[in-house]
Amino acid sequence: MAPRWKWKGAEAKAFAEPISNTVSELQSSLSQTEASGFLSSCNVLLSVEPEQAELLDRCCFGRPVVCAEKNKRWIQLTFEEAFFLFYKLKCIDKISLQSCYLENEVDLWRSMRSFKPNFAMFYKAYSHLRSKNWIVRSGLQYGVDFVVYRHHPSLVHSEYAVIVQSIGEYNRLRVWSDIHCSVRLTGSVAKTLLVLYINGKVNTENMNLPLCLDDYTVEEQTIRRWSPELSREDETRT
Amino acid sequence: MAPRWKWKGAEAKALGEPISKSVSELQLALAKTESLGSLSSCNVLLAVDTEQAELIDRCCFGRLVLSADKVKKWIQLTFEEAFFLLYNLKCIKISLPGRYLEDEVADTWLYMKSKRPNFPMFFKAYSHLRSKNWVLRSGLQYGVDFVAYRHHPSLVHSEYSVLVQSSDSDRLRVWSDIHCAVRLSGSVAKTLLTLYVNGNFKEEDLNLPVCLEKYTVEEQTISRWSPELSREDDTKISKPTVSHLKTV
Repeated sequence: MAPRWKWKGAEAKAFAEPISNTVSELQSSLSQTEASGFLSSCNVLLSVEPEQAELLDRCCFGRPVVCAEKNKRWIQLTFEEAFFLFYKLKCIDKISLQSCYLENEVDLWRSMRSFKPNFAMFYKAYSHLRSKNWIVRSGLQYGVDFVVYRHHPSLVHSEYAVIVQSIGEYNRLRVWSDIHCSVRLTGSVAKTLLVLYINGKVNTENMNLPLCLDDYTVEEQTIRRWSPELSREDETRT
Repeated sequence: MAPRWKWKGAEAKALGEPISKSVSELQLALAKTESLGSLSSCNVLLAVDTEQAELIDRCCFGRLVLSADKVKKWIQLTFEEAFFLLYNLKCIKISLPGRYLEDEVADTWLYMKSKRPNFPMFFKAYSHLRSKNWVLRSGLQYGVDFVAYRHHPSLVHSEYSVLVQSSDSDRLRVWSDIHCAVRLSGSVAKTLLTLYVNGNFKEEDLNLPVCLEKYTVEEQTISRWSPELSREDDTKISKPTVSHLKTV
């Protein structure tokens, strides 16, 4: 399916400002001010300057939290977003949990994994897509794990509805009714169902280190309905 | 959600011919001729005459199979439909080509169970709703196990999309699946209904259909709760006509 741009000129605007550029800008801006975040059992709160909040919004990381502070902006990040900024882009300096700082990635990784048991595979999937410059957001309202956008959600509709599966530990698509359910719902919102299979030693000691991420592989698979009428070879196609 | 009748007069027609009555007529008509169903690994083929075929269609059991046979009509039944006719309504006989069935009911049960391990709980759910005179059909195209109609599908749209659940279910294990099922059900104007079939599935008495008596079925609907539509004051926003939101 071709990308659905939201307004005339949106595609041109997207071409002129690639996500990769905006991410680099964000990276240097955040590194300069040694941004720090606060970890809770379900998200990370990041305190930033107004200009940085604008950059975060342009790259689509997190959601702004309404607050009364005039000089600072607070952004609520998911674990995946926060870990990506911390570990991959290296632009968050430290994250504190309650009253102590988690300065290295190992502590942060372990904390997040203790709060969210399937964090490892979700993060692998998230960073796999983000590294290809897809914008990744929660897909819960569409009955999936993530939805991915080719560019900013204000310019384009998301194209893929993503379900993350770990080899050997399936919670979705175990039976035909779920496959039909997901494909039908995904189709009704003009998206393609994409399943990311995360392969790797998911349950060994290495799991305690984010380095284990290098051991994982990601296999992409789209699932669509096949329509005989639309797949005929002859010229007189409907 | 109120039942959606398909045409003006459909509701009156339905009220005039309750499903329970058609089922009794079917029961008598089939028992008289000792109708025989032929069991295969995935369904049961039943040979009937024209009047019986019409009654079966009125009660919505099975699907008519196109055939060149001028005398008989052939109906393809699911395991649940066939076993319901065999065990609950006691109006058909079953044969398994190439095998002699000593105890028709018990042997059919064992055979169906061997082909589909989840057959016992699916049948419990099927008979639970059929006994209440709901018409049941496959829900696969809606991403569920069954869809339930208040009367014949030519008169009314199905109201419930049904998922059969037990302690080790393959559906609704995570929130994304719950949202998926609720949203899809709502988009086709149905309420998601889960039937929890409780019982001891691993014991030996599963070999006999009497084990069905020991199962209980717990019904639970899952729908979205909308704060706006659930306020208590008088100045309520009127409900949209096509909506997947339901007040609980």
